[in-house]
Amino acid sequence: MPPLPIWQFDVLLLILVVLFAVVALSIRNLMGAAVVFGAYSFMMCLIWAGMGAVDVAFTEAAVGAGVSTVFVVSTLYNTSATMRSRPGGLAFKLFIGLVVTIAGAFLLSALPDFPKWGASDSPVNAKVAPYYILNTIADSHVPNVVTSVLADYRGFDTLLETTVVFIACIAIYSILRVDKAKLETGEPAAAPVPRYDPGDSLIVRQASRFMVPFMQLFALYVIAHGHYSPGGGFQGGVILGASLILLAISFDLKSLLRQWSEKTLMLLVAAGVFLYAAVGLACMFMGGDYLDYVFLDSILPGEKDMARSHGILLVEIGVGITVMFSMIAIHINLASNGRFDRGL
Amino acid sequence: MDFLGYILISSGVVFFLGTTIGLLRFPDFYTRMHAAGKGDTLSTVMILIGCICLNPAQEDGSGLLLALKILLIINFIFIGSPTATHAMMDAGNKAGATPWRKDSK
Repeated sequence: MPPLPIWQFDVLLLILVVLFAVVALSIRNLMGAAVVFGAYSFMMCLIWAGMGAVDVAFTEAAVGAGVSTVFVVSTLYNTSATMRSRPGGLAFKLFIGLVVTIAGAFLLSALPDFPKWGASDSPVNAKVAPYYILNTIADSHVPNVVTSVLADYRGFDTLLETTVVFIACIAIYSILRVDKAKLETGEPAAAPVPRYDPGDSLIVRQASRFMVPFMQLFALYVIAHGHYSPGGGFQGGVILGASLILLAISFDLKSLLRQWSEKTLMLLVAAGVFLYAAVGLACMFMGGDYLDYVFLDSILPGEKDMARSHGILLVEIGVGITVMFSMIAIHINLASNGRFDRGL
Repeated sequence: MDFLGYILISSGVVFFLGTTIGLLRFPDFYTRMHAAGKGDTLSTVMILIGCICLNPAQEDGSGLLLALKILLIINFIFIGSPTATHAMMDAGNKAGATPWRKDSK
């Protein structure tokens, strides 16, 4: 069997990515730009999968092509879907072009200093990666090296990544959230233009009601099975969040807010990061370093290697909780224009 | 079994081609969505069933899980894709897209 034409496929995908990027920037209708941007993300997802980075591809598909498209659409719902102001004149455009060209030239000039892609004698592939690949089973019983690197060997990075999601959610919340009391005394808010409401349709409601439990089950599988297959807290959390966002879109925002009040949502966003940090602190109390799960072996079942495996599971659950409720809180903020009453 | 798989996948690709042509050539919003919704669902399902035929479940149980997962995906596409088409049609109707008639233009 001849080898698959994999690099030709990559070149095709890269051409499509550049094409979609240009189209997304030049299109005047912002709703169209959002859709093209989703397609761009999906092409990136295929490229990651082709490079063997299945976990990254999974995240790109869930976040880039899925939830962020919903975010853009719900932002457009409250603003306007057509671009009105034109950016600057010719001189301004030339200036921008000059800046971008110079910055790109700097970046390209640094390119020869990088080791060749996949070179076996580069520092990463010669020292660090072989250690992870050889020791991950003995250390933590986790065959998926990506998960053990993400949550165990480089647990600090992931803790800070989760904190970034948390901070993003808090930032959006504090910028968009409107105080109801202030709103009533101030000028009346502009009445929202009546638009298509999927909640009207029985078919959409029943179909999403049927799909949501399976989505949530799959998301739990992704979080819990991340040790053995692509997946983990980020991907599973996004899918869990997306399942509730689907409910919010196909029914209405109110029914989601009845289940998850604003206070519960924000508390849970913080609780996930707290769980992650608390696991780290527990390791310190047991006499080890921060996030050194080996020292949890006396309170977690199993031997030392299984303690690390369970520690990874605990922090992945923390990541999942934060990501899930951040996605929901961001969606509610964007869709209801910070009012937390009704919206897309 | 392999032969059946190839036939299913190639006819799925042919249906995809028909979907694309329909999407580009049909005169109005509704007929285009009709082509996209029906053709897309059918061809995706055919290609996925073809994939199951190329990796059939063996007697020792290998391939069974893969077939089951693909069946789940088929189930989802079968529900999700027509629902999305319906939602878009409904939205188009409410936004005032007029259906094409033989005597218009």
